[in-house]
Amino acid sequence: MSDLEQQQPPQWPENGDQWSDGEDGTNMDCGLLQAMAEEDEEINVYNEETFGMDLDTHGTTEVPNNGLLQFGELPSPPPPPPPPTPPLDPKPPSRHSSPSPPRQRPQYFPRAPPGQRGRGRGQRGGLGRGQMFEDPAVVRIVQGRPSIKGLDSAIVDCGNAMYQNSFEDDYMAPSSRKSRRISGSILQDSAIVCVIDGRRGQHLTSNFLDLPYPVSSFRGRRGETRGSYPRRHFGQRVPAQMHSFTVPGSPINLRQPLTPRQHYNQTGGFMFPMNRPCPSTPQSLTPKMMQLRFGANSPRPSPFYSPSSNSVQHFRYPGPVTQLHPQHKRLLSQKQRLFQRKPEGWDPYCNLMTAKEKEWITRLQMIQLQSEHPYLEDYYYQEYYRRIEAKMAEEELGIRGKREPPKLTTPYIMKSDSYTPVVHIEGSLGQVAVSTCYSPRRAISAVNAVQAQCPLEEQKDIRQQRLEVLSKIEKLFIVLLEVEETERMKTTVLSEEEERRLMEKTQKKVEHIYSQLQHHDPLDSGGEFLPFLLVSKGKRLVARLLPFLKHDTALKILRIVTCNLPTLMSRDTEEALPVLYPSLRNVIGGLTFSQLIGLIKDLTFESLTTSESLTLACQNKFGLSLLYALLSQGEKLLSSGVPLEPSIGDFETWTDTIFQVAGQLSQCSLVEPLLLPSNLLTLFCRYLDKRTLHQLKSNMESATGFLALPS
Amino acid sequence: MLLTLALPCRCVFQLFYSFFKSLVGKDVVVELKNDLRLGYLNIKLTDISVTDPEKYPHMLSVKNCFIRGSVVRYVQLPADEVDTQLLQDAARKEAMQQKQ
Repeated sequence: MSDLEQQQPPQWPENGDQWSDGEDGTNMDCGLLQAMAEEDEEINVYNEETFGMDLDTHGTTEVPNNGLLQFGELPSPPPPPPPPTPPLDPKPPSRHSSPSPPRQRPQYFPRAPPGQRGRGRGQRGGLGRGQMFEDPAVVRIVQGRPSIKGLDSAIVDCGNAMYQNSFEDDYMAPSSRKSRRISGSILQDSAIVCVIDGRRGQHLTSNFLDLPYPVSSFRGRRGETRGSYPRRHFGQRVPAQMHSFTVPGSPINLRQPLTPRQHYNQTGGFMFPMNRPCPSTPQSLTPKMMQLRFGANSPRPSPFYSPSSNSVQHFRYPGPVTQLHPQHKRLLSQKQRLFQRKPEGWDPYCNLMTAKEKEWITRLQMIQLQSEHPYLEDYYYQEYYRRIEAKMAEEELGIRGKREPPKLTTPYIMKSDSYTPVVHIEGSLGQVAVSTCYSPRRAISAVNAVQAQCPLEEQKDIRQQRLEVLSKIEKLFIVLLEVEETERMKTTVLSEEEERRLMEKTQKKVEHIYSQLQHHDPLDSGGEFLPFLLVSKGKRLVARLLPFLKHDTALKILRIVTCNLPTLMSRDTEEALPVLYPSLRNVIGGLTFSQLIGLIKDLTFESLTTSESLTLACQNKFGLSLLYALLSQGEKLLSSGVPLEPSIGDFETWTDTIFQVAGQLSQCSLVEPLLLPSNLLTLFCRYLDKRTLHQLKSNMESATGFLALPS
Repeated sequence: MLLTLALPCRCVFQLFYSFFKSLVGKDVVVELKNDLRLGYLNIKLTDISVTDPEKYPHMLSVKNCFIRGSVVRYVQLPADEVDTQLLQDAARKEAMQQKQ
């Protein structure tokens, strides 16, 4: 070190007095630079030990962050940073004189401007301190905003606009607290330019993630890191642009969570690969490369110049980029607005990627999803947002939930209270993984709770039947999907002939599904439709099939449901019955008075004959809602004035049903129904005495939580 | 994870892409096999946050990362953003297409 000092004594500019501490009230910055200098010292020690860094022929060593030291308080030119080596210090320069300020160390040399630096350590550090301001890049920075143009046209192409914006912001920052961190986009663009060069890629490591400096995580074409920025920052041969990038905001500032020392101690990895090949200079860029446009300002991603993996190279040049669904775009823009409200200083490392860059990457990914048949190949996405859009449109129009107080709720599947953390499947070795909130997989759905009570042989038969039913349901679902698809296509068809043809096709498929559901097994005495209705998937299938059925066939299904209501309610472990409610309610809405009375007879005299079964219905969401729907339809028919054409005894049956149901409702506890018709109380007012009516009303209100007002 | 899947295999993963495309901009949690759980905003893992920073302090400064698929244990999806019924239908359609 003493040799070094002898070979090239530090030469300070004549206005060195401007570099003294505290004169300009820049104590904080001086302290900052001192801290930086101390960190540099430790880093250099480490580099020496690791790489055996020798002093070059000029007696200088590469100083990774000498660029930072050059530019102390930069926004106000000329910057008066404190001298790294105070000339006032009387102590002899010594590398190991740790108590003394590190400014005596000879390794704090400014970086040479581009073109002047050679590869390898030996050629570096050609400038002494005295030449600090002779560095044209430095001079430019000191005097004002450097001119980007002419330095590196590739960088100009890539990041000109972004740079100017960010640089201006940083330059105009009044306070040191304002983020002076360089916009990552410019650096990233330069990194891409370097990556394109290809030579430095093989020397890059992936330690950039550990660095506390704001680097982008974007990877280059060969998986190289774009985070070579910090390495290049520390003394690499970089375009002069890089100098100016360091000016506005030093990444090494007190605000970073880890200092280089801490990081170096933590990661144990080297931070200043001094032996890296130099990045490409403007002269080394081929004309082809000069035309490359990467980063946020790229008009569109090109597969041939894509920095991503090779898998994208063989698809065609992208035409219009895959667009997000308009509803999706609206949701994303709303979310973006929310995020933009956050104050800038909440995270020093936020906005590493600009919105444009993120959008660019997203576009790259979306290109892979381009297709000529979006509804076929991108079915889930298209349908999902179409449904959201339709739902929001309905809500805007006020179609839903305006006439009757409670909105129709979706089925709520209650988690089973009897939770078995360890599941053992018969015949398997060991146990299934413990099911916790972190491991949600459970092999329970195939096990029917009812089977546990039967003998083993019977269990196997039941299991086999259940599997057959499930298999059949799946096959019928595929046919149902075709029906729904055909129904959707009807709206796009123009000619009547085509529409008629589609209707015939739909009808055939619907009849096929209906017949399969009706006659599952001729030997099975379970009845029509019942085996499918006992399975949750079967309920969903029936619910989606009902809108396509004619009124008679739909009524038959409704009758089966009302006749077997106690069985269905008791064996509905997954509480999937509510999925049937919307479709069945539409069917109920089309009933005549006679048909309604027939159903009520089935319900009250065949299924809910005992008080226990009626109590069970009152305590089941679906059962109670079905009861309410039937009564509401009756009231609607009676008050509408339409000729009812009742059969003999219909009115008596109707009246008896009212009294029976009202009496039960007023006594037992009620659950909240899926839908509470508004005309129900009006119906009860007509037949019940005040006391019973008042009791019933309070019971209904306590279940629903709001007033059951008569319409 | 999207970029690692090559195009020839795209037909197998159409539903995969379509489903996760609908989750762009939504919050999900990725649980890795080393018990590290990350929350991120899209499937490319930008703007991540660690759910247990005390246990994994080295991830505090990481905002963007790429996670190899083989190290993922679970991807916890927001229940409100997933239409399970539609997902079932899409799976059935994809199975149908593959058979054809």
